[in-house]
Amino acid sequence: MNDSGTRDWKSLLLRHEMLLLYVLVAEWLFFYFAGTTTNRRGVIVGFGTVDRQFDILRHSCEIGLLALALTPVILTAGIDLSVGSLLGLCAILFGKFWHDAGMAIPVAAALALACGALGGALNATLITALRLPPLIVTLGTYSLFRGLAEAITRGAITYTDFPAGFLFVGQERWLGLPTQAWIFFLVASGVWVLVHRTTFGRSFRAIGFAPEGARYAGLPVERRLALAYVLAGLIAALAAIIYTARLGQAKADAGTGYELFAITAVVLGGTSIFGGTGSVHGTLLGVAAIAVLKNGLACLPVVMRMNAAEEMSGLLTGALLLLALTGSVLPRLWSQWRAHRSAAALPSPKPHTPT
Amino acid sequence: MSAPLLELRQLAKSFGGARALRGVDFDLRAGEVHALLGENGAGKSTLIKIVTGAHQPDTGTITVGGTRVADLTPATARALGIACIYQQPALFPDLTVAENIALRLESGGTLRRLDWTTRTQRAQELLQRVGARIAPSAEVRQLSMPEQQLVEIACALGAGARIVIMDEPTASLTQTEQHLLFAVVRELRKSGVGVIYISHRLEEIFALADRVTVLRDGESVGTHAVTAMDEAGLIRLMVGREVKQLYPPSESAPGETVLALRAVGCTASGVRDVTLELRAGEILGLAGLVGAGRTELARVLFGLTPADAGEITLRGERVTLRSPQDAVARGIAYVPEDRRRHGVVLEMPIEENMTMAIHRRIFRGAWLRFAAERSLALEFIRDLAVKCSGPTAVGGSLSGGNQQKISLARWLATKPRLLILDEPTQGVDVGAKSEIHKIIRRLAKEGLAVLLISSDLPEVLGMCDRIGVMRGGKLCAILPGKSDPHAVMAAALGTAEKGAV
Amino acid sequence: MNRYFRELSVVGALVVVLVAMAIFAPAFFQPQPLLSLVTREAPTLVVACGMALVIISRQIDISVGSIFSVVSVCAGLLAARGWPLALVLPAAAGIGALLGVVNGILVAGLRLPSIVVTLATMVTLRQGLNLVRQGEFVNMPDAVQWFGLPQTNGQWLLVGAALALLVLLGVAMRHVSAGRFVYAVGTDAEAARLAGIRPQLVTLLVFVFLGALTGCAAMMNIVQSPQVQPLSGMGLELKVIAAIVVGGVAISGGRGNLWGAFAGLLLLACVAPALTHLHVEAYWEKAIQGGIILLAVVADGVRSRKGRR
Repeated sequence: MNDSGTRDWKSLLLRHEMLLLYVLVAEWLFFYFAGTTTNRRGVIVGFGTVDRQFDILRHSCEIGLLALALTPVILTAGIDLSVGSLLGLCAILFGKFWHDAGMAIPVAAALALACGALGGALNATLITALRLPPLIVTLGTYSLFRGLAEAITRGAITYTDFPAGFLFVGQERWLGLPTQAWIFFLVASGVWVLVHRTTFGRSFRAIGFAPEGARYAGLPVERRLALAYVLAGLIAALAAIIYTARLGQAKADAGTGYELFAITAVVLGGTSIFGGTGSVHGTLLGVAAIAVLKNGLACLPVVMRMNAAEEMSGLLTGALLLLALTGSVLPRLWSQWRAHRSAAALPSPKPHTPT
Repeated sequence: MSAPLLELRQLAKSFGGARALRGVDFDLRAGEVHALLGENGAGKSTLIKIVTGAHQPDTGTITVGGTRVADLTPATARALGIACIYQQPALFPDLTVAENIALRLESGGTLRRLDWTTRTQRAQELLQRVGARIAPSAEVRQLSMPEQQLVEIACALGAGARIVIMDEPTASLTQTEQHLLFAVVRELRKSGVGVIYISHRLEEIFALADRVTVLRDGESVGTHAVTAMDEAGLIRLMVGREVKQLYPPSESAPGETVLALRAVGCTASGVRDVTLELRAGEILGLAGLVGAGRTELARVLFGLTPADAGEITLRGERVTLRSPQDAVARGIAYVPEDRRRHGVVLEMPIEENMTMAIHRRIFRGAWLRFAAERSLALEFIRDLAVKCSGPTAVGGSLSGGNQQKISLARWLATKPRLLILDEPTQGVDVGAKSEIHKIIRRLAKEGLAVLLISSDLPEVLGMCDRIGVMRGGKLCAILPGKSDPHAVMAAALGTAEKGAV
Repeated sequence: MNRYFRELSVVGALVVVLVAMAIFAPAFFQPQPLLSLVTREAPTLVVACGMALVIISRQIDISVGSIFSVVSVCAGLLAARGWPLALVLPAAAGIGALLGVVNGILVAGLRLPSIVVTLATMVTLRQGLNLVRQGEFVNMPDAVQWFGLPQTNGQWLLVGAALALLVLLGVAMRHVSAGRFVYAVGTDAEAARLAGIRPQLVTLLVFVFLGALTGCAAMMNIVQSPQVQPLSGMGLELKVIAAIVVGGVAISGGRGNLWGAFAGLLLLACVAPALTHLHVEAYWEKAIQGGIILLAVVADGVRSRKGRR
């Protein structure tokens, strides 16, 4: 009986990702038919165009990267609220290294990546060495990183006039696809391999399910946790460079609120906020669902008239996250309720906590 | 004489297949201290949990103060004046002593005005009655364990408890604190309270108790006036039975010394001055009562709480073990006691659980090799006869014995030199138990040094080549394998002289 | 150690800042600007009181900024339609409480982590407001400003009300049993359940209470200016959480009190004017706030590791 329970549970996970895929396809088809129009000159405009599809890809790269960065962190039952702010800080630093310090673009980019890793390392140190809760630590760095970005630019400086070779990364196509999409796919495969094909991913899950159990199994819990947060910082920095290349400018408010979209994509993709279960391909589907929603809304005539695509997509993303969260706990609540009914009023013994 | 405060008749309770209590009679009179004695797993804690309402008995009756109580819940138990002082007090760590006492004693009323002067005064008064010199304004987290126990007793006093249960209250007390506590218990007795006193320390029972009931294997083997008993008699009652179960015979000849400890200690976990030697092919048992420091010693050897005194030598080489990774790298394996929390990750498949400690060896370059993992898992499943639907079944779907085998397989896969087993057969059914025993024997024969921590005395006697006995964080005796069970129990209780080391 | 050591250390830091200001920038202490500064912080204090309760019960709410904005606009619209203030104020508190109920049910009923829930409600509310209002300001009738009182009287009224709430709640948290239930749930929900407290209900109620207080705070804010800005609540949550954490309320629940939160709020409120007066650029404010949060958390972390035996 227990084993069939296992299979049910597994198929549920499978169903979750399949379900998301159906939603994604339905969503895409809806926007394809509702959001594509022909203008006065008989040219097809709106959602159905190839350009628009590439735009979706282009716009989802940064949030997609942050979602990839967050997947290992959330698998360990942690959270990183600071990735959006770190994106902003790294964008500014990159601009400053290039513009003010006169470094070559590759050098500036490498340094910005290093700074991202450093920011992640700050989170990691506070979380592992001092055993502070990730939530409050990254809430603090969320404010700190954004504040540093504002302080460096005095809230006013915007770095622009990047060379064309650099803008190619964010605005042109290479081998038929937007250039940054190649980078995104590269990172996605890297994270997928890390999570699903290496012992690191195995450790993330074990830590997420049972941190003490992982310690007793001889896994280096602190080092693995640190890796997850440093990697998140590194990927956030990469997202910062791509963001700068796409917009052609580096501003202190780059990536504001992106952490929410990233967390939503991860949770929507089936990764449990309580750690342990989840997948990178689920996250990618979650990113795609959000990106199509965001861009599709902008193509709907009714939304265009209201000029409120940004707000609509934000609203729907927040609502979507709430729905996904509620959906994720329903099986647990259901089984608790059943257990409660069968075992009447048997009080659960308090677990002993060693002091 | 009036009706007894508490009367239990023919109480029985089973958990799954295991029968924890098989028809126990017990009674407690007003103004007496009634000691409850028995080995670990004899059924004491189940009995206590029934009296406090945490468990419901399968059969049998409970009578409190002459009235029969049909179904006892924690709330009704409290209302009937039953209070229990646990070894690990359940207090609010961040709140003050006065507040902890008040939260227990004040009832109802969400918008009640709190009178801190009264609260503090009452706390002061109650603490004085138990002879504790604790400021009511102190935060509970800053108190030592015995001080917290005194706060618990103060709570019980304040609640006007007529039946007070003390579960090994002196386990972590110093000599002076003990005397203080005894005075409190005597005070309680004088005021007509009935005290159920659980302790492994025989001298306490003789000093304090009026009557003593001995439990063995879920049955009461007799209630006696303490004045009519002596230590030897009590030990005989506790151990009693013959070694019924058949244990596989020892076949190994001890080889080179694998582990040598010299005066090893760890302040944080209370392990002190442990010296022992363990050789390849040898099974060294570690006997002792709960809290004697056996698991703590294992945690020191596994690097979870590193030693801060003494020397640890592994196969002639002096080592420092700062983390489990250190220990694993040196060929030490530890199958922990709490397998649901530490031994197996319940949500993960069997195969992933089995390879968790050998990531470096089986997954070269951190690259998962599913085929190798699968074949290793299948091999162990066959080898240890794990009953499961396959290597992808999650750990939580297995029975206790099979979970234990998974935990064991995880560590055997590391090809250790030294295997520490912590209560490997606790909560395991009889069939799986004997299988695990056979596996341990085979491992020893293959040249593994085994440190077997067990509270099951027959198991220790039947399985081990030598038996170390721990008490109060110290290794107090090392006895030969075929020792007299009474001698082991006497050493664990501290009534014997220090044995030959 | 003194029970209020942690709070007193914040007060000490505050005194140091004030003394430094007295020496280097005495202009800071001119009564009228100082009163304005304190008045601007009064709504924040009201929200901080509610937030302290939520954090003491081991939860967190980062949607207060959005709730603040939503209530501000709603109350502004009602007032603009000519509702009397006596009706607008309860309506504002009611809307806030209703939004608190949503958070509370998701956290207490479904046992979801409060940080993610309130992150989601924060964005949903903010974007919903933007969608409906498109960033439009609401013009208020003159009678609403300062409750129709002369400005100084209105300022004193707001400050007085906020302080009265602080004192009332601060005392209640210690001297009314409901206050102690919040502490009990925050320090150990399971032990609280055994002591006859219903932890889920307490959690729900603190969220509702915070929502209602945020509604009142929004009301206290809109009477200060002739227009309601829909973005007025942006970043409020961080400001409030920072003040509370700095004031010694442990993010892990069960520890700290409102007096500390008040001292923390004053300390942080002094940072921005202190920066201006000491000729440090104001752009550092956010970074310094983040740094102070981290510093406080690290200090508490180190302290609790030492304190545990």
